[in-house]
Amino acid sequence: MKSILITFDQAHYENIVTLLEKSNCRGFTAWREVQGRGSRDGEPHYGTHAWPSLASAIITMVEDHRVAPLLEALKEMDIRSPKLGLRAFVWNIEQAI
Amino acid sequence: MTTLCFVAVAIIGLFSLTTLPIDLYPDVETNTIMVMTTYQGASAQDIEQNVTRPLENSLNAVNDLKHITSKSRENISVITLEFEYGKDIDVLTNDVRDKLDMVKSSLPDNAENPIIFKFSSDMIPIVMLSVQATESMPGLYKILDDAVANPLARISGVGSVSISGAPKREIHIYVDPNRLEAYNLSIETISAIVAAENRNIPGGSFDIGSDTYALRVQGEFTSSDELKNIVVGSRDGRNIYLRDVARVDDSLEERAQQTYNDGQKGAMIVIQKQSGANSVEISNAVIKMLPQLQRRLPSDVKLGVIVDTSDNIRNTIRSLVETVLYALLFVVIVVFTFLGRWRATMIIVITIPISLIASFIYLALTGNSLNIVSLSALSISIGMVVDDAIVVLENVTTHIERGSNPKQAAIHGTNEVAVSVIASTLTLIAVFFPLTLVTGMTGVLFRQLGWMVTIMMIISTVCALSLTPMLCSQLLRKDVKHGRLYTLLFTPINKGLDAFDNGYAWLLQKVVGHKTVTILVCMAIFVGSLALLKHVGTEFFPTADDGRLGVNLELPIGTRVEIAQEATQRLSKEWRDKYPEIQTLNYTTGQASSDNTYASLRDNGPHIVSMNIRLSDPGDRERKITEIAALMREDLKRYPEFKKAQVNVGGNRGGAMGGQATIDYEIYGYNFEETDSVARQLVNVLQGIEGTADIMISRSDYQPEYQVDFDREKLAIYGLNLQTAATYLRNRINGSISSQFREDGEEYDIKVMYAPEHRTSIEDIENILIYNSAGQGVRVRDVGKVVERFTPPTIERKDRERIITVSTVVQGVPMSQVVEQSQAEIYKMYIPVGINIELAGSYEDQQDSFRDLLMLAALIIILVYIVMAAQFESYSYPGIIMTSLLFAFSGVFIILYLTGHTLNVMSMIGAIMLIGIVVKNGIVLIDYISLNRERGLSIRQAVVLGGKSRLRPVVMTTLTTILGMVPMAVGTGQGAEMWRPMGTAVIGGLTLSTLLTLLFVPALYCIFAYVGVRRTRKTHRRNLANNTSK
Repeated sequence: MKSILITFDQAHYENIVTLLEKSNCRGFTAWREVQGRGSRDGEPHYGTHAWPSLASAIITMVEDHRVAPLLEALKEMDIRSPKLGLRAFVWNIEQAI
Repeated sequence: MTTLCFVAVAIIGLFSLTTLPIDLYPDVETNTIMVMTTYQGASAQDIEQNVTRPLENSLNAVNDLKHITSKSRENISVITLEFEYGKDIDVLTNDVRDKLDMVKSSLPDNAENPIIFKFSSDMIPIVMLSVQATESMPGLYKILDDAVANPLARISGVGSVSISGAPKREIHIYVDPNRLEAYNLSIETISAIVAAENRNIPGGSFDIGSDTYALRVQGEFTSSDELKNIVVGSRDGRNIYLRDVARVDDSLEERAQQTYNDGQKGAMIVIQKQSGANSVEISNAVIKMLPQLQRRLPSDVKLGVIVDTSDNIRNTIRSLVETVLYALLFVVIVVFTFLGRWRATMIIVITIPISLIASFIYLALTGNSLNIVSLSALSISIGMVVDDAIVVLENVTTHIERGSNPKQAAIHGTNEVAVSVIASTLTLIAVFFPLTLVTGMTGVLFRQLGWMVTIMMIISTVCALSLTPMLCSQLLRKDVKHGRLYTLLFTPINKGLDAFDNGYAWLLQKVVGHKTVTILVCMAIFVGSLALLKHVGTEFFPTADDGRLGVNLELPIGTRVEIAQEATQRLSKEWRDKYPEIQTLNYTTGQASSDNTYASLRDNGPHIVSMNIRLSDPGDRERKITEIAALMREDLKRYPEFKKAQVNVGGNRGGAMGGQATIDYEIYGYNFEETDSVARQLVNVLQGIEGTADIMISRSDYQPEYQVDFDREKLAIYGLNLQTAATYLRNRINGSISSQFREDGEEYDIKVMYAPEHRTSIEDIENILIYNSAGQGVRVRDVGKVVERFTPPTIERKDRERIITVSTVVQGVPMSQVVEQSQAEIYKMYIPVGINIELAGSYEDQQDSFRDLLMLAALIIILVYIVMAAQFESYSYPGIIMTSLLFAFSGVFIILYLTGHTLNVMSMIGAIMLIGIVVKNGIVLIDYISLNRERGLSIRQAVVLGGKSRLRPVVMTTLTTILGMVPMAVGTGQGAEMWRPMGTAVIGGLTLSTLLTLLFVPALYCIFAYVGVRRTRKTHRRNLANNTSK
């Protein structure tokens, strides 16, 4: 089991949920409105007067073999609209109930 | 869901539109109440002292009273109470009635109860028809009454139909006084006998066998000839027939109004509407009915239209609708050019009509009409309702370009800008909502404008936040592919716009580098424009060209009607030859009969001529109505017969809106001679001032008349009293109506009087025989004297003081110029103690409205500041933005100066609207600049980049508003004079303020920002120093 944290511009939300569904990843937890900014470039997503856009975050736990295709698909999505911003981070799950 | 809601709104709106009546102005409720009190036999001075003064003193306590004026004439006192506009007249009427009840007991015993009379604009005739006739002239009244007036009166909404110029049939019994005397008869006996003979008397019913029969005596005359054979007395056993002492003349009333249409004798039919009815509908029905009525008339009787007020209304509204459509077209073109995408343009175009249509629902619900004000509101709003939609659309487009799909982009894009869209709408509402609170005349006019724009703004914001994103998600595409035509068309446009952006950025760099110079130059322009203000005249309302002239002519009192007619005939012939613009010319002279409601309310008499002239449409002629009026006034100077002459543009003198402006100089003072002489001096002074015309003194001349002074003692000796004696005089000269002659359901008066040849000299009067109850006759000369006297004129009072008004029409120059010059002259005049001169008329109205409007402007500026301060959480930014108002006002002054318009209520309203529009530009600019600073840019960079990226939206919204106004400013249609100053003012103010705002505001922002930065640094340094020293 691996966990994937996906943070992205709000606009991506529906696409990503659909992607998870298509990839047979049922479980996920989402935060519809989160603030943050990328390490290198891209607009900050603060939801303020100066930076009005907002980001969302989804964390999902998937079987190991699903990680690669999922990241592939996410990467593709990011390339299609680089200005929106989409990042995914994967780490191990050590225990679960 | 959203679509359906808006479709519903559109359908309800369109339905409301079909039910909306058309009118020229919003309904103005009447604000005057008249109180009439008759006191028979009292002279003007008695009336003033005993009736008018006590009434005035108690009526003065009624609330909301603006002015109280009165006219005390022989036998009657007329008090006019003028209230503030917009008050409930019914409540006021009750107040007036209460006050009258209180004072009634202190009036003289013989005075009648005061009558309350509400005056309203409904009294103004809406259609005047001319009737030309030749052979049918003698019977014209009956023909017209049956075949025209009665059917017209049946049209719903028609109040009264009066016929003037067609004398009524009347049967005269012209008595020869000598024969009467010989037979020992009197007019009274004859009159009583005629009345007694002309009777139908029911005799009850009686039974014969099994049936019941009615018994009747049918004594009424069936022809006027029968009258001749009435036995009026007997002498020496022989009957005296009426024909022995009198001649029976079955003809027309002796003194009637005469009407001439285009030089031909005829009649005039005046149609007035019921209160609250719609003029356009009625006149449509009347005009539609005319051909049908014409068919029923004898072939020589021809109907024509002299005045159709609805014509003007229809044309005005039509040209205004045209203006609105042009504005719509211009806005669409601008939006398309700037956005460059037809789908986006479509979205904007859809939102415009929905906001506009929604305002029709408001109009229909509140019972208002489509009028100049409501249509101007539409025209003004077109440019503004698109702004919100554009902001939303731009942001959604940015999101799409960033890669969101249209649906997501629409949601998030709209959420991001929702607050600022609402805030900018609030600033506009802060401008237009206070318009609904104005009181007075201007309030009545602009309340509707305020409500309509406020509603349209709210709807457009709702639209921008719901319909626009919905349409964006449906219509906008992620990847736009452009056709070849698009590339061909838009490559140069885009290049041009880019160059424009870069040019502005370059200029902004310079400006930010030379802040002081920029600010000085801008301030110099502002101060310079203030200097121009001196040369811009002020007036109340612009004069509208509705193609109608009313001419009132007055010959010396007592002139015979034939002489008045002859002189007017010459004048009208000259005018019809000289001015080909005249389409119809109609005039009426003579004494109006008392049952002609229209004519009896106006001044009338054998020496008074009132003329109606209709000119061709303003678009079809070279000369303006004011020019023609000026030429006519010149012509009238060559007619010494006319003692007083007035040429009134628009039909009425000093009309609140549309007519030429008048200035009234009110001379207050008790002494007749002194005030008369001051008035004459003033007339001389005014004649020397350029731009005055038709100068009139309100006090009429002393009227010559014959009075019979009876000696009461002598009367008593003969057993007579004054009333009996006076009645004898009246019956002989004026005639006594003895009975009515009935024919075909109509009644005609039978009048017994001296034959005309026996009432032509003073001797005839002196020889009149008065009989006492014992049957003894005595001549007038034995009991009294006939003397010629001058009756004192009507005594006019205003606000409980005697007054004479000298009024002048302002022609060709701004009103303010005449006022200034005349005030200087009046200052030099010798004015006796106790007399003072005050200015009223359009000038007073103008002063009132200007005061109201300036108050309003102050209120609006404060409100707008509050809204902005709340939005920016700052006191200095709104201040910076507000400076652009200075340039808006200088723009208004400059353009008014250049185009030669005056500063009037319409251009003032334009200037007030500018407050909202101009401030909006500043908000967009400052908002983005401060956003850039929050994003971490330096002040200078923030200003230059912010300016560059906001240039297009600012220019686009400005252009939509300016182009929306252009059709208003250059319109030539009927009524265009009214709104041209408003359009011009907005264009001038907006253009200059936008140009200067784009440079001045960034410069000022820099200064304030540097000060702010320096202050923070100082505090920081102090804190640092404090920390290290610790």
